[in-house]
Amino acid sequence: MDPARRKLYSYIAVVAVYVLVFGWWVFFFVHQSDFLLARIARRDVTLPREAEEALRQATDESMRMFVFEGAFLGLMLLASMFLVVRSLQREVAVHRQQKNFLSAVTHELKSPLASAKLYLESLSLGRAEGEKRERYLRNAHADLERLQEMVEQLLESARMSSTGPPVHVERLDLQGELARIVDELGKDPATDTVEVSLAPGPALDVEADPAALRTMLRNLLTNAIKYAGPSPRVEVSLQSEGAQALVRVRDFGPGLKALDTRRIFEPFVRGGDELVRTRKGVGLGLYMVSELARAQRGTARAIGSVEGGGFAVEFTLPLARERRASHAQDGSGK
Amino acid sequence: MSAERLMVVEDEEHLAEVIADNLELEGYTVEVVVDGVKALERIREAPPALVLLDVMLPGMDGFTICDTLRREGRDVPILFLTARSSQDDRVHGLELGGDDFLGKPFDLRELMLRVRAILKRASWSQTPSSAGELLVLGPARVDFKRYVALLEGREVQLSQKETLILRCLAEKTGEVVSRTEILDRVWGYNAFPTERTIDNFIVRLRRLLEPDPQAPRYIHTVRGTGYRLTP
Repeated sequence: MDPARRKLYSYIAVVAVYVLVFGWWVFFFVHQSDFLLARIARRDVTLPREAEEALRQATDESMRMFVFEGAFLGLMLLASMFLVVRSLQREVAVHRQQKNFLSAVTHELKSPLASAKLYLESLSLGRAEGEKRERYLRNAHADLERLQEMVEQLLESARMSSTGPPVHVERLDLQGELARIVDELGKDPATDTVEVSLAPGPALDVEADPAALRTMLRNLLTNAIKYAGPSPRVEVSLQSEGAQALVRVRDFGPGLKALDTRRIFEPFVRGGDELVRTRKGVGLGLYMVSELARAQRGTARAIGSVEGGGFAVEFTLPLARERRASHAQDGSGK
Repeated sequence: MSAERLMVVEDEEHLAEVIADNLELEGYTVEVVVDGVKALERIREAPPALVLLDVMLPGMDGFTICDTLRREGRDVPILFLTARSSQDDRVHGLELGGDDFLGKPFDLRELMLRVRAILKRASWSQTPSSAGELLVLGPARVDFKRYVALLEGREVQLSQKETLILRCLAEKTGEVVSRTEILDRVWGYNAFPTERTIDNFIVRLRRLLEPDPQAPRYIHTVRGTGYRLTP
């Protein structure tokens, strides 16, 4: 058990003991008059009926006061304990994140570093000539690019978690912008293996950052390459939902069952056992999607398995102001 | 140079390529496997002279592969090549029966040296021991050839490393054998930043062979140096 979790459990145990003791006090106070009368009776003293009644009332009154004050204090204490438990839980989550981070980042940073180093070492020792020499140079270069991309992603996510992602919101025709991005990503070597289709949708003007939108889609497409089978297919669709535009990016892969669909938006969280790795990456793609959605005043959610199979991520973006006004007038979104 | 067959189990395509190329240049025959489950199958079918094994692999991780092989009594030499190079990972890999551990990124020349050293040690472990094939410790007998201990009529399977440690001590009966020497002969000294692992092996051997492991009669600790065997 990791130290953060141990701390959390021991604190919960302390709180449980406290609640038991507190319950006993309340019980004791509520029945104080009965206890008093029983004690008097044990001394072979018989009180007149009025005296007994008066004693019962007087004790009950003062006890009621104690109980109310005690209950108030108890609630305050419980609330503060609850806060401590919450912060300990957060500590557990952070610890888990750090472990995931170390495991994933270690592998992702060291692997291309190791192969680039060996390629260059082989070249400098004269162990590769002609075509092989060319290939070694090409591969070493590709390794360094992978490393660069990883380092940039890590720095970007560090920036995001400290100051939030920098976004420059402008008014965009969403359907047109999505078409442009899909077209562009079709030519990007990192995403050109995905077959992307853009479903026809309503013309919606949104307030969004085109660069952020591109990063979000790019991350979702690279995810599809990793998780949606050998020839990944992705469908991007668009609809309006209240004062928001809803973009859905779904793949036609096996979907995602094992992992909590909320947890996958945490940084460095990936499906499966880190030791039995099948996919490259460190688990930052969806985290960036959700942070970018939030920075544009939208939200992101994941659907582990959509109808007809496949994994989907939906994110919302606020509609541009005029559109929202007319939307309120005609009262129909779709 | 011999044409010994080596297996590289590595899912990173580039890394597998450059390691395999360089081993081939040294005169070895190399088979590359990218998946853990497939690697285990292939090693069972045709054990190579050495497996260069990554830890994080699709299908099955390297630690599990090593553990499975050792449990099945297969002593194919294993060199772990992994990005997970913390002390704990090293100790864990070696306790599971790995022969050496190299953290990524590593030097090409160092890799070649380690490969050669492991193959040399493997050939030592296959030659007959100068101490004979049988070690007698009171009522217990250890068969160096079959890696078994005979204890009061029952046979207990020993791991390759356990057997080699005993053989190392038996070849110098009555003399102090330093931890460094044991590490060097059984694993290869460079594999170890720590000597903790060897102490754990000795604890296991004592539990098996000593009448009272707390007061050992045969395998003695020489404080600060190493161990001495007195049959």
